[in-house]
Amino acid sequence: MMDALRELVFGLQQAGYLPEMFRYGFLTNALVAALIVGPLLGALGPLVVVKRLAFFSEAVGHGALTGVALGILLGEPATQPLAALFAFCVVFAILLHWIKSRTQIPYDALVGVFLAFAIALGASLLLYVAKKVNVHILENVLFGSILTVKDQDLLVMLLLAIVCIGLMLFSGNRALISSLAPDLAKVRGIQVRFFDYVFVLLIALITVASVKIIGSILVGALLLVPAVSARMISRTGREFFWLSVVFATLSCLLGILLPMAGALPIPSGAAIVLVASFGFVVSLVIRRWRSLA
Amino acid sequence: MGPAIDLKEVSLTLKGVEILPKVNAYFSPGKLHAITGANGSGKSSLLKAILGLAAHQGRIERHWPTANETISKARQTAYVPQQTAFEPSLPITAQEFLLASLTRQAFFGWRKAADLKQVQALLQRVGMQAKGHLRLGELSGGERQRLLFAQALERNSQFWCLDEPMTGLDLQAQALINKEITQLRQAGATLLVIHHDPAWVADYADQVWCVDNGLYIQGDPL
Repeated sequence: MMDALRELVFGLQQAGYLPEMFRYGFLTNALVAALIVGPLLGALGPLVVVKRLAFFSEAVGHGALTGVALGILLGEPATQPLAALFAFCVVFAILLHWIKSRTQIPYDALVGVFLAFAIALGASLLLYVAKKVNVHILENVLFGSILTVKDQDLLVMLLLAIVCIGLMLFSGNRALISSLAPDLAKVRGIQVRFFDYVFVLLIALITVASVKIIGSILVGALLLVPAVSARMISRTGREFFWLSVVFATLSCLLGILLPMAGALPIPSGAAIVLVASFGFVVSLVIRRWRSLA
Repeated sequence: MGPAIDLKEVSLTLKGVEILPKVNAYFSPGKLHAITGANGSGKSSLLKAILGLAAHQGRIERHWPTANETISKARQTAYVPQQTAFEPSLPITAQEFLLASLTRQAFFGWRKAADLKQVQALLQRVGMQAKGHLRLGELSGGERQRLLFAQALERNSQFWCLDEPMTGLDLQAQALINKEITQLRQAGATLLVIHHDPAWVADYADQVWCVDNGLYIQGDPL
């Protein structure tokens, strides 16, 4: 199917309907990836904000760094260490949440400890594996690259997206009530702890899905920035959700297209987060303008 | 009719400190039980223990009048917590809060007309029919309290736990809530209400309990 899509895009480019850059198949792949992970990140963002898990998602993203290094060390392909990446992110996220639910340590402090641990372990292992693989591969893992998205990655992203959408539809309301009023949720028979773990699993899955184009360092930012931008200008929860989806998707698409159009050697993850940050500034201006109107 | 609540040798500790020594108590079914006591005496903790929200020692049993009745919605518990603070800038409206409580459909998805109608009816019962569009953080303390009462009404429960339900309410809102409480009493619900106003307690309570280093029926120490 992807072959047909690439041929279609190439045909349209040759016929003069699309700019020159669309003659490259990798761009089509990257745009399809953006259309999968952008809406997902945007959809999960509002709950990340409501549940105050911004730094949690950041820590899981940094955990991806270690996951990639472990995968390479264990013999997985350097460009696609998916099993180790997925396993490490899930274990990392669940362990963090498990410790949180069993201690009195303030959550931000606990996440800080895990964040530091993830970076330290990831940096140590990456320096070690850097001797074995091309350093550009590690650069791609850290900051994302549109050149590396293969058909198999798209399939993994699509499968993860289906799982994530299913989990969100199943648990969205209950996760919202559990966050806003946990005691009420418990009295209503909602398994608050179970839905917390479902949410943690979602963050881990989405992180894995997004590492290819956004990179492990910045994936947490894209869970947060579009949601915060949407929150500033939304009147309702539904607006909050859909604006966040739109902002994240636009950030992913423009973050891929703009550097290509301008022939700028910027990693896709950095460009995507820069566009998302620009969206944040626009939201700030809109909010200010509304308050003056 | 609502259940009887039987406390057998129940004691509460918080972070190693005993806040309620071992007590036995029987809250008879279909009555309004007012629970009074000084601040920090353990009233809310006791209510939370009865709701299964706080750890406790001893046994808390619910006895429904009809033992074999299938578990129905009417058997579920309605809970009105003490003032809940919501983050001011969070864009979740009062209507969305009730919808999320009511339905399992995702808050970002399609809304059924019947659900919206039910939410509007609940808001009307607590005098907030014109406030559904307001964000949770924009509601005053009294309005938040009314919203929490509205979500409890949705349960059609025969067992109610209310923790200072009149906090921050103006006279008009108090009248609305009192009307609902009266109807619940008449319908045979069991209500446990933490309240500080002696006049309200005298007017509405069937039995008055005092929490003071123990749990006593007023004028009759256990």
